[in-house]
Amino acid sequence: MRFADIRPGPVLVGVSHIVWRLPGRPATKMAEFAHTELGSGHDMLEACELTPRPEMRPLYFLHALDELRHSRMFRERARALAIERSRTQAVLDDSGYLHSHGIRGSDPLFTELGELDFLAFVWLHEQRGAAQFGIYAGLMDEDPASREMFARIEKDERFHIAYSRKELERLAAQGQASAVSAAVWRIRWRRFKQGWLRFSRLIGDTMAKLWLTVIYVVGITPFALIAKLTEREQGGLVPAEVDDRPAAQRALEQL
Amino acid sequence: MSRYVLGVSALYHESAAVLLRDGVVVAASSEERFSRQKQDSALPVRASRWCLEQAGISMADVEAVVYYEKPLRKFERILVSQLTGFPSTLPAFQRTALTWLTDKLWVRNALCKELGARPSQLMFSEHHLSHAASAFYCSPFERAAVLTVDGVGEWATTSLWQGDEHGLKPLSEVRFPHSLGLTYSAFTAFLGFRVNNGEYKVMGLASYGEPRHVDKVEKVLQGVDGGGFQNDTRYVAWHKSTVRSYSGAFEQLFGAPRQPGTPLDPRQGEGKHYADIAASVQVVLEERLLALAERLHADTGLDALCMAGGVALNVVANRRLLRDGPFAHLYVQPASGDAGGALGAAQWAWHEVLGQPRVDPGLTPGLGRDWPDDRVRTLLDELNVRFDDVADDRIERAADDIAAGKVIGWFQGRCEWGPRALGHRSILADPSRPDMQDRVNKVIKLREPFRPFAPSVTAEAADTYFDVPPGGEGPAEWMTIIGDTREEHREAMPAITHVDGTARLHRVRREVNPRYHALIEAVGARTGRPVVLNTSFNLKGDPIVSSPVHALSTLQSCEMDAVYLGPCRVARGQLPRGGAS
Repeated sequence: MRFADIRPGPVLVGVSHIVWRLPGRPATKMAEFAHTELGSGHDMLEACELTPRPEMRPLYFLHALDELRHSRMFRERARALAIERSRTQAVLDDSGYLHSHGIRGSDPLFTELGELDFLAFVWLHEQRGAAQFGIYAGLMDEDPASREMFARIEKDERFHIAYSRKELERLAAQGQASAVSAAVWRIRWRRFKQGWLRFSRLIGDTMAKLWLTVIYVVGITPFALIAKLTEREQGGLVPAEVDDRPAAQRALEQL
Repeated sequence: MSRYVLGVSALYHESAAVLLRDGVVVAASSEERFSRQKQDSALPVRASRWCLEQAGISMADVEAVVYYEKPLRKFERILVSQLTGFPSTLPAFQRTALTWLTDKLWVRNALCKELGARPSQLMFSEHHLSHAASAFYCSPFERAAVLTVDGVGEWATTSLWQGDEHGLKPLSEVRFPHSLGLTYSAFTAFLGFRVNNGEYKVMGLASYGEPRHVDKVEKVLQGVDGGGFQNDTRYVAWHKSTVRSYSGAFEQLFGAPRQPGTPLDPRQGEGKHYADIAASVQVVLEERLLALAERLHADTGLDALCMAGGVALNVVANRRLLRDGPFAHLYVQPASGDAGGALGAAQWAWHEVLGQPRVDPGLTPGLGRDWPDDRVRTLLDELNVRFDDVADDRIERAADDIAAGKVIGWFQGRCEWGPRALGHRSILADPSRPDMQDRVNKVIKLREPFRPFAPSVTAEAADTYFDVPPGGEGPAEWMTIIGDTREEHREAMPAITHVDGTARLHRVRREVNPRYHALIEAVGARTGRPVVLNTSFNLKGDPIVSSPVHALSTLQSCEMDAVYLGPCRVARGQLPRGGAS
């Protein structure tokens, strides 16, 4: 089985040239990277805790320490570059936090993927990261501190690529070549699917907002008028409504 | 055969799961301790799973799964608010309709699907009832007045109750949009801190300021006859918007809001102005709480008060209530925010739905995840982390470190329930060193330099060093009240004495946490004072650490000197180096 390296395409190079020259953008991007690296660090710590293979534990642990250090480096650099722009400040303020979304929290990435797919994910993801950071380092002619930071981080990413690749190669050599190959393709497919889902969600949300606007303007107006007429914006203490039904009966209701 | 009840809170601020066995808490944890997302609001799937594992049971063995509020009643309130705000509520309507229609309306299904509960197991409490139950049924009082104050539940934002042998009886309430909690959060946002997370920073900042803007704050939040209060809705936006909590009129009243993340020196310039605003809102909050307490006392005639809801975590106000209010005793359990709703929901179901008598709920500081000593050793070996095995002398070694001016992580026993570090997952240091507050704030916790640290003190020595109002001993064990550092000791303990001479002390009893008590005594033997600086074992933005790998990554990420992981001492230099760079 061949483990071909990912090389940055011309589109990525071109877009990076434009994006990084936008005013204020480097600081915002770095704050966003800080957030991404923080999430990766936590994923690696979970993998370290959950893996059934003790020999993988120190590798995941070192990887986690790297990602968390990168997060701090990006945050510090973003702070240094941040000019008085509220967006950068807001992103920066947010970059130290991980967020939950929706009713269902996510399982740890390691649990979701399983060890083999997780390794394939690390290998592919880190290659993309290294390729990106390599490009960004080249764009930092006027900012040697950022250039040096990207170069250091890229070096770490090379280590992450090397250990995940070595492990995948070892598994392939042990007769699991087709399983490894399938895992790599599953991760590629997952990435494509996630991109598609993000795009679909964007379309879906936009459509939903349009419909909700129509409902709000057309359907809700009469109810809104009634609500306004009967509005009780009464402050202060009011007697609590006492429900005399047995607690067992009340407990079954959501309303 | 034992009977089990699982309480669940989720979807707003901080989700949690609590398991009762015959009315006694056997496991309790916020989801954030598993997901590592601070104040994770997703359904507590992992916390629930862990609670069941901890008790060695499956979901089928649970008699009731109790959700902490009524989701449809909450949805009703949101809809009505948006209707009354027509037409300016369009963006809020779009946002909330999407969230509710895709997620939050389907709590019943989600509890079944994600937690594996059967529909017949499900029960629904009410938001403020859950808060009230968490306070009253955990308290040592047979009869008590109960005050619950937070942002908003279904409709109520503040509720007054009486708890006795017949259960909890609701007396009166203040309803949305009038809210003490949301008012405090609006000022939190205005002062540049994260809502639902930065309120305690406002409280810390308040000590640096003068309450020069009380008259302006009272325009936003007015007291009314009978002990209640109301907001002037021209100044607030929380009833119309999901992203803004204050209006343009509010900004005209108080000036420009502070940009998040910008440096803040509360002693001068703009920082002083913001500190004055914080001091003013703190004073007004205390006045409103005192008025509510007076009313509650008049209605019940009882001398004990139990409090819950996010506002009950305002330790400064709690001291004022006890010192200047009509109640002789106060009880505030450590997770009195929304996570505590899970505890209250379970207790309400146990006592009032299943009709079981009151028992000691066994609330201790450590109800979360545990790591047995042998597992810690094996893990460190596997990680190639060098360590000193200090199983037999961890107390002495840790005390030596602290007395020598080192800052250590203390990871012992089960993780804490609630947001306070109570000697199980703590960062500890010697409070007598003048540079310690700055050092821990800047290079260890990586947080704002004006924020104070808490002291842990043995119960026997607490009165020597601190002055807590009579009746405050219980809350001091949960770190839910402040006291004054006695005048003669203030200079000697600068790192834990706030600018106004107060300290958010943690009173440690030997029978509750013997190992931590022994450590503080051992530190006392070396420094002459059985007091340690105690702050939660986490960095800014992270939840409290819950597993050894989180503790080690925290050690690597800051300038702490060592961590005591169960029986192992790991110094900073003993950690493996990171990757290629």
